[in-house]
Amino acid sequence: MTPTETMTLVATVLAALSLWLLLPRGGRWGRPVGVVLGLISLGIFVSRLSGLTAMGFSDEASGAKLMFWVLAAITVISAAGSVTMGSPVYCAIWFAMTLLGTAGLFLFQGAQFLGVATIVVYAGAILVTFLFVLMLAQSEGHAYYDRVSWEGLISAAVGAAMIGVLTMVISNALAPVTPAIAKASATKVASANAAPEPAAKILIADPATAEERAADILSAQHMDHLGAQLFSKYLIAVEVAGTLLLVALVGAVAIAIQGKQMPKTAGGARHG
Amino acid sequence: MGEIDLLHGYLILGALLFGIGLVGFLARRNMIVMFLAAEMMLQGISVSLVAWGRFHNDWGGQMMVIFILTVAACEAAIALALILMLFHSSGRLDVAAWQHLRESNQQPFVDQELPEAQVDEQTWPELAPAGIEPEHSLDELVHRGHV
Repeated sequence: MTPTETMTLVATVLAALSLWLLLPRGGRWGRPVGVVLGLISLGIFVSRLSGLTAMGFSDEASGAKLMFWVLAAITVISAAGSVTMGSPVYCAIWFAMTLLGTAGLFLFQGAQFLGVATIVVYAGAILVTFLFVLMLAQSEGHAYYDRVSWEGLISAAVGAAMIGVLTMVISNALAPVTPAIAKASATKVASANAAPEPAAKILIADPATAEERAADILSAQHMDHLGAQLFSKYLIAVEVAGTLLLVALVGAVAIAIQGKQMPKTAGGARHG
Repeated sequence: MGEIDLLHGYLILGALLFGIGLVGFLARRNMIVMFLAAEMMLQGISVSLVAWGRFHNDWGGQMMVIFILTVAACEAAIALALILMLFHSSGRLDVAAWQHLRESNQQPFVDQELPEAQVDEQTWPELAPAGIEPEHSLDELVHRGHV
């Protein structure tokens, strides 16, 4: 077991403990310990990202890196808050913070439309609907089932194991090939006599050059390119998505009025 | 080189969001919070997809996220209608209220000890006295009484 794998394991165990301590249970003593353990575990995860932590401010990409760190910290910490808060209203507010963080990350990835759409659709519509349902359903305040959780330790362990496995797979897939990729992308010459690559590295074997990105996915005419793609290559998917929205709307109305008792007396069925 | 490091960072961020959402979905009992956690897992996927799209200069990632948003909106509409119906028939947002849907050979789940509700002492804010009382002229008071 290499030292980096050991560190990932330690971070995973710490993450599981911290999530378990943070999940709503009886006592309140676990909360500060959980926060501290979670921050430590997050720090270890961050230390795996060797290329991003080496931040020189002379580097031209240092602004993007700094932005990434700030937004990623906001996103992950508020995600943990949204899962572990006792009151569902606080959960929704923390989740709104997570959405703002991911929207910022989208903006920095050349996905301006998605950043705005996340705020409008998720934070503006879905989350507000959640809050409406909360107000309709739980207007009297805290309920007992918000103070307990199912099998906190087991579910925290499952989630942390998921995080650990994903981190290890991602790092193993990306790390060893980095110098070769950088060289290939700088010179854009495919070495013909290279050894056959394992399947996991095919995904990252062909990065775009900075010029290609600047001309296409990072160009200033973002909506132009996006709309051209959306209404040519993905036109059928757009139509299907529109139909899906209509069907969901009708279905939601049908579900919501099914429980209502229709008036049997005159007046209900006479329209038309 | 920065690009592959950025990809690495975004992918790990997506994994963290997915794992935290998974914990929330498994552990919480309020149906609305479970639903929020599922949405958070979708957010983790979206972050990864956008990062891959940027790395390969391919619009497919962003398109996928647009359709994820669409499907999430549909899902939210249906699920909230269902949650409201469930709430009307059971009176609670607790998923344990629906445990009679379990397999017949499973033991029912019973809450062992419920933690006490933490009743916060309501402390209302007090207004600090602001300013000083102005001097009243007796003459004016008397005069005003006549007006």
